[in-house]
Amino acid sequence: MPSGSKSSRLPIFLQLPATVVIWSLVGYVLLWLIFTLFHRYPPGKPPEFVGLGNIVAMLQDMRLYGAVLRTVYYAGLGTLIEVLLGMAVALALVNLIKNEKIRFAVLILFLLPMCLAEAVASVIWLMLATPEGYLNCFLRALGMKAFPWLSARWALTTLMIADIWQWTPLPLLLIYAARSSIPVEAYEVAELDRLSPWTTFRVVTWPYIKYAVVVAALLRLIFMYITIDKFILITYGGPGFASEIIGFYVFVQSFGYRNIGYAATLSFATLIVAAIITYFFWNAFKRRE
Amino acid sequence: MSWKKILGFIGLAIYGVWTLGPYYLTVITSFKKLTDVFSIPPKIIPYADFVPTLEAYQRIFSTRAAWTFVTSLIVATIATIIAIIVGLLAAYGFSRFSNAPMNDERSFFILLTLRMLPPFAVVLPIVTYWVFMGLIDTYFALIWTYTIFSIPLAVWLIKGFIDEIPRSVEDAAVADGYGFGARFRKIIIPLLGAGLAATVALVWLFLWNEFLFALKVAGGKVITYTAYLPQLRLGQRTLWNVYAAMGTLGSIPPLIILAAFRRYIIRLYLGGR
Repeated sequence: MPSGSKSSRLPIFLQLPATVVIWSLVGYVLLWLIFTLFHRYPPGKPPEFVGLGNIVAMLQDMRLYGAVLRTVYYAGLGTLIEVLLGMAVALALVNLIKNEKIRFAVLILFLLPMCLAEAVASVIWLMLATPEGYLNCFLRALGMKAFPWLSARWALTTLMIADIWQWTPLPLLLIYAARSSIPVEAYEVAELDRLSPWTTFRVVTWPYIKYAVVVAALLRLIFMYITIDKFILITYGGPGFASEIIGFYVFVQSFGYRNIGYAATLSFATLIVAAIITYFFWNAFKRRE
Repeated sequence: MSWKKILGFIGLAIYGVWTLGPYYLTVITSFKKLTDVFSIPPKIIPYADFVPTLEAYQRIFSTRAAWTFVTSLIVATIATIIAIIVGLLAAYGFSRFSNAPMNDERSFFILLTLRMLPPFAVVLPIVTYWVFMGLIDTYFALIWTYTIFSIPLAVWLIKGFIDEIPRSVEDAAVADGYGFGARFRKIIIPLLGAGLAATVALVWLFLWNEFLFALKVAGGKVITYTAYLPQLRLGQRTLWNVYAAMGTLGSIPPLIILAAFRRYIIRLYLGGR
């Protein structure tokens, strides 16, 4: 602290507003979730204590397991593609465009989808993927058959493609930043040593961009897990349960079926999972610095 | 130029079309008549393929759809101002006082966790909270909710910028007899400058873009443009041009922010998303 400052209470006062504001609501949320997850809410009657009933029901809920599998597919494969594609584009940008001004302008253009609202991205992709939409217009103009983008078989994949469209810019940006920090001399040495492109990548590039890749992957994993805007706006979990991921299932239990006790149980469980992933992110982020 | 380079440029061009094409289609759709929206082959060049019209925008500005943008603006702006003021104080505490009660790693982790909370897991308790308070579907409830979820981001970003201001600058000011308030006003805030402005922009942008809380904490009488979007598809026939125009209008602030704060974008997104 600045020397000479007398009041040792100052930091408490500085952080008091933030602490009070946050805990006024977050405290309620946590207490409510913990209370509610042990209760059942029959309509029109006071809540009934059910002990671990909700948790047992959760462990036996086949629909939840379906949602878990879909989440693993959606978030896992989506993150993998976003990171690989983002890395490829970032490295291509730096290697191919030598004029820094042009390169930066292209980078900023490439970042556009990431700045839009999930809701706006949903508008865009609904317009593309709806049965009479643009994608099928293009396919049919080329003499091909219309493709069932939002069918039970493909809806989840279409949503993943929409997410890849919107969020590949994040890994792209982070990896671009890491790649730009590598001194040119490192590559000059690699060239003198006649290293193959693959060896150059492994020995020179990778050590510098490694943490950016890990951080980007964890960030995308977390946000694909916690963001359900596109699911509400594009498919509403359908057709049937075909695009129902964990987050959307919790949303439907909360606001569709109004199974309050069970929704609280699912919410609490998903919060814990999010905290665990965040913990890994935190460790990766610290190592980076 | 080697064939590898040519392939690389072709790859970048394809990526460019993939990234910008869908947005371009949305913008031109907003200037189409409903009958022009989908056709085979698709009409993609204004004037050549179709006659642009302002029909969709006229429809938005003659209904309450226009008001939803004003609501988004009001809610995001007020919540950002409160979150930045509170966040600025807390960030200063984090940055400058190693003995601060919230300054250990654990509390910073809690802060980060708040940012990474799944909104779908907290939206139900938050709705019951506002129902209990009798404030559901009001400006107050939405603004307060937004403020709370913006503070962690504000603290996280501003702390990074304050850390870069050397303490010696402040020590000199203390020696000159500046109090805490004067130091804050005359040294910290001016030195934060563009970094603070960029933080404001990013916090505001996330709120402008927010959907789930807008839909459930408000979404009735008080309704933001994102929460209004599902209502546009309730009828038998979707007005695709109006839908696209809503998206286009909603995309204007993000584009302005992206252009204006492009130098800070790397810093911000490292801390933000």
